Amino acid sequence: MAVSLLLGVGAFVLRSRIPLPAKEDATFGSVKKKRGLLMLAGGIVLWVFCGLFFGLFASGDKTLHVSINPERIDLLGFSVSSSVVVAWIVIAVLILIAVILRVFAVPRFQEKPRGLQLVLETAVGAVSNFTKDKFGHENDGLAAYFFALAALFIGSTIVELFGIRPPTTDLSMTLSYALVTFVLINYFGIRKKGVKGRLKTLTKPVPVVAPFKLLSDIAVPISLACRLFGNMLGGMIVIDLLYYALGAFSVGIPAVLGLYFNAFHPLIQFFIFINLSLTFIGEAVED
Amino acid sequence: MTNIGLVAIGAGIAVFTGVGAGLAMGIATGKAVEAVARQPEANSKINNLLILGLALTESTAIYGFVTALVMIFTMK
Repeated sequence: MAVSLLLGVGAFVLRSRIPLPAKEDATFGSVKKKRGLLMLAGGIVLWVFCGLFFGLFASGDKTLHVSINPERIDLLGFSVSSSVVVAWIVIAVLILIAVILRVFAVPRFQEKPRGLQLVLETAVGAVSNFTKDKFGHENDGLAAYFFALAALFIGSTIVELFGIRPPTTDLSMTLSYALVTFVLINYFGIRKKGVKGRLKTLTKPVPVVAPFKLLSDIAVPISLACRLFGNMLGGMIVIDLLYYALGAFSVGIPAVLGLYFNAFHPLIQFFIFINLSLTFIGEAVED
Repeated sequence: MTNIGLVAIGAGIAVFTGVGAGLAMGIATGKAVEAVARQPEANSKINNLLILGLALTESTAIYGFVTALVMIFTMK
């Protein structure tokens, strides 16, 4: 272990000692290649050292534990699942960020946006324009609701980078998001057409298709929930397997993979969620 | 009378829905690439439609995966 530590630090020291000549010099390419090689060797040896170091504290857990339901916590006599508590923490942090931004940053906005204002305006503008493109009525509340849902969702998947099980791997949470969409679909449909009109669309082409249309209406929130839950749980299982396979050597590699599974993949899935919700709402409102 | 071996075989058969989904997504991507090659200025619209269609067809594979997971974790 000491040998690997010495080798790793020595490789980095050597790399910094090789001087980098001027760019027009003919030997630039080969010197840069040698520096890069030394940096790679130093990195690998330091990784081995970290693995051996953390292997000293290894607990004897040799089997992989994965369960579909998260563990339950006992809170003031009620038994709540850990996803709900994590979701509460995420909501509290989001409210704190929103209040701080509103009190300190918004009064200082200028005509030409720079910096933080540009980021905020781009994000809000993207969601708002997308919602208004697909469901183009005068409704401002829908864009605001979807932005809040996106913030909650992104917050709860970033939590996985810290090692906590994110709330979206719980079937109850994704089912509740999908049920809110179901309520929104019916609300817009009934507001536009009345209760009788909404029931009448069930018998639209021929009255005999009514049971099938009813079934497909019920299948919409269930499919939304299952799609989200399955994708998130699959990602979590892959990263758990990686941690279990590498054991004590999992120093830097799962973070790189986590960048895809916890940042990029949930964004795509959530874009699909919003897109499908808007499509179904638009379908319930059209004649 | 449930046997862990039968549960494992059943879970393996349940994940077979991925075959159809993978085939369909490959064909869809091929057609999208052809469409972009025909008319490169419709790039972003075709891209959006492609992502939407891929996520919808992937959901059938996810159904099979979720069924297999439920089988493994709740049947003893």
